[in-house]
Amino acid sequence: MKILVLLKQTFDTEAKITIEGGKISRSGVSMIINPYDEFAVEEALKIKESLGGEVTVVSTGDDGVQDALRQALAMGADKAVLINPGTDDVDEFTAATVLAKAVSGMEYDLILAGWRAVDDGSAQVAGRVAEILGIPIAKLASKIDVEAGKATATCEIEGGTEVIELPLPAIITAQKGLNEPRYPSMKGIMQAKKKPMEKKGLGDIGLDAGAVAAKVKVLSVALPAARAAGKVFDGEPADTSAAVVKALREEAKVI
Amino acid sequence: MDFSLPEEFVMLKKMVRKFTENEIMPLEMTVIEREAARGFEATPSMPPEEEKKILAKAKDLGLWGIDVPEEHGGQGLGMLAKMLVEEEMNRSICWIFLPPDSPNLDFLANACRPEQYEEYLFPYSRGEKTSALALTEANAGSDAAGIQLRADRKGDKWVLNGTKLWISFGPKADFFIVIAVTDKVKKQRGGFTAFLVDKGTPGFTILRNIPCIGDMLVYELLLEDVVLDDSKVLGEVGQAFVPLQNRLGVRRIEIGAKCCGAATRCMELMLTQARVRETFGSPIGNRQFIQGMIADSTTEIHACRLMVYHAASKYDSGEKDLRIEGAMTKVYGTEMLQRISDKAIQMHGALGLSKEMVLEYIFRMCRIWRIVEGPSEIHRWLIARQIIRSEKPYETIFGML
Ligand SMILES: Cc1cc2nc3c(=O)[nH]c(=O)nc-3n(C[C@H](O)[C@H](O)[C@H](O)COP(=O)(O)OP(=O)(O)OC[C@H]3O[C@@H](n4cnc5c(N)ncnc54)[C@H](O)[C@@H]3O)c2cc1C
Ligand SMILES: Cc1cc2nc3c(=O)[nH]c(=O)nc-3n(C[C@H](O)[C@H](O)[C@H](O)COP(=O)(O)OP(=O)(O)OC[C@H]3O[C@@H](n4cnc5c(N)ncnc54)[C@H](O)[C@@H]3O)c2cc1C
Repeated sequence: MKILVLLKQTFDTEAKITIEGGKISRSGVSMIINPYDEFAVEEALKIKESLGGEVTVVSTGDDGVQDALRQALAMGADKAVLINPGTDDVDEFTAATVLAKAVSGMEYDLILAGWRAVDDGSAQVAGRVAEILGIPIAKLASKIDVEAGKATATCEIEGGTEVIELPLPAIITAQKGLNEPRYPSMKGIMQAKKKPMEKKGLGDIGLDAGAVAAKVKVLSVALPAARAAGKVFDGEPADTSAAVVKALREEAKVI
Repeated sequence: MDFSLPEEFVMLKKMVRKFTENEIMPLEMTVIEREAARGFEATPSMPPEEEKKILAKAKDLGLWGIDVPEEHGGQGLGMLAKMLVEEEMNRSICWIFLPPDSPNLDFLANACRPEQYEEYLFPYSRGEKTSALALTEANAGSDAAGIQLRADRKGDKWVLNGTKLWISFGPKADFFIVIAVTDKVKKQRGGFTAFLVDKGTPGFTILRNIPCIGDMLVYELLLEDVVLDDSKVLGEVGQAFVPLQNRLGVRRIEIGAKCCGAATRCMELMLTQARVRETFGSPIGNRQFIQGMIADSTTEIHACRLMVYHAASKYDSGEKDLRIEGAMTKVYGTEMLQRISDKAIQMHGALGLSKEMVLEYIFRMCRIWRIVEGPSEIHRWLIARQIIRSEKPYETIFGML
């Protein structure tokens, strides 16, 4: 079983977001594997452990992304592939085009990814990759079973779950609850640097800047407004409850 | 001069940080409650079944025997790697001793004879056996030359008689490295011998636990006509002192690493408090007194960390005489932690004093560190003596030039 995992490096979920020069500042922020992608890596490793095979982690970004890939190698992935898009101006179209093209030149039975990245949260990339490759996709999986030629994914839907069967090759995206990602072991960490890390540019996979130019332009970014102070209602409970209900209906407009 | 850690060491540090935060820190309140509740009893503050679980997980991750040479079944990653692990794990107050305990390992690795490997060195290296060091007596602490526990030669046997006081681990240890007098005249110059005394050896008793400040259980041991044969002599007869001094050197650097970890935790709490606690209409972090505490503490942690990393990398490059580095790191690290935990409590006001936070625990625990493994005064004395006596130019004494 050859498994590919699409992996994005994101800000640490604890990171404090600041804006500098109209852009989200990366300085001083520690970077991690997108937590949903970490579930995907773990799942890939579990499938490999039960069925045998090989796990390759694939990402797009600058050299800094190697840290996240190396982390996945330390967890137990076998190889890493990193494609540098040559620009910071990247949208979901760019990422998906680059990843799909890179992946199309590789052997795979199953592609796993996180259902969304915790930074921009668009939940588009895996779907776009499936579309470009022309293979089926199941999203938000909390359970995945793989056997010869097919996979069964239990996926989250509004108010419940649905069980989807997909012929392989297919893409499945991971939701929280799919598994508990392992810590990279000491042995894994020591082996990680000896595992192959292939670094490629757009030209190496047959693309150029024009073919991946972002279709979405970010006009501005803003931090959410600081939370306003709470409102305290003084008085007898009977009077204040009435006042609270009125405020919820007329000011907050939540009931 | 490259100060950056190798990439795999950075990954190791991050892994241990995550492990500590997810698996160990959730037990902190339990530890604080059990410690407060035990009174004069010797109940361990960490529930033994939880400790077992954490140790098993740590073993799976390869955190046992980090510094144990590969030929002894360890990871062979050296002392710096071990110090990074110690530093990260000591961000939590929960004491997890990753087997094997490095200082005794150092002692065994240097002193065991090949025929003792199977019974002691190997199982110890693999973390299957635990040990304790029994050196201190009622009348001999800092000045170990005054120990009185005797080992007399009777036929082809050794007979040990005497007591040891303030001995850590006690009932947890499978065997004790007991330092005894074999020649009253020679004393530390050829008259002290190390013996391997197994738990349960006839005549060997753990008399009692002595309740102390902080959370380190210590015991009094009694040896009454304990008969041992030559196979229980660790190293050469009369030559316990040198490996003993080296062993203590390892521990001292390790204490520095522990203090860095605990001080980092204090610092993290101080930072949150400086940002969120408001008095008189402003976060306390805006006040110069508070800024002074933060600036000084950060500077001290940085200095201590550099001392620890420097000493550890020297050890890894084969330097064995780290007496000055060990002494400096031990004094500086423990006193730094005392100052920083004190400031952290101060910044938290009443909350800092309470058992709802880890600070008062750290504060009490680090009081022990300033005495065990040699009180600060002894280390300062050692540093000064070595420097004053040395004929070498000052900068070359501990190898910065
Ligand atoms: C919790 C705990 C665990 C311990 N675990 C172990 C263990 O596992 N194994 C073991 O063998 N021992 C152990 N010890 C003993 C420990 O090593 C000794 O307490 C330590 O070496 C100090 O010896 P002492 O207590 O006899 O103090 P002393 O040697 O009597 O010193 C008392 C004080 O006198 C002063 N002083 C002494 N000499 C000088 C000097 N030359 N110059 C200036 N001032 C001086 C210092 O202020 C010192 O603190 C432990 C102790 C504690 C508290
Ligand atoms: C054992 C004990 C008994 C007590 N008994 C009583 C009692 O009987 N009745 C009662 O009402 N209260 C009592 N208290 C509460 C005590 O009065 C408060 O703890 C004390 O006033 C400090 O307030 P705080 O703990 O909220 O700390 P905070 O006011 O939050 O201050 C925390 C820290 O912030 C720093 N800080 C705050 N403001 C400034 C500033 N302007 N500039 C620089 N630094 C600043 C200081 O380092 C301070 O220590 C008791 C507390 C304890 C621990």
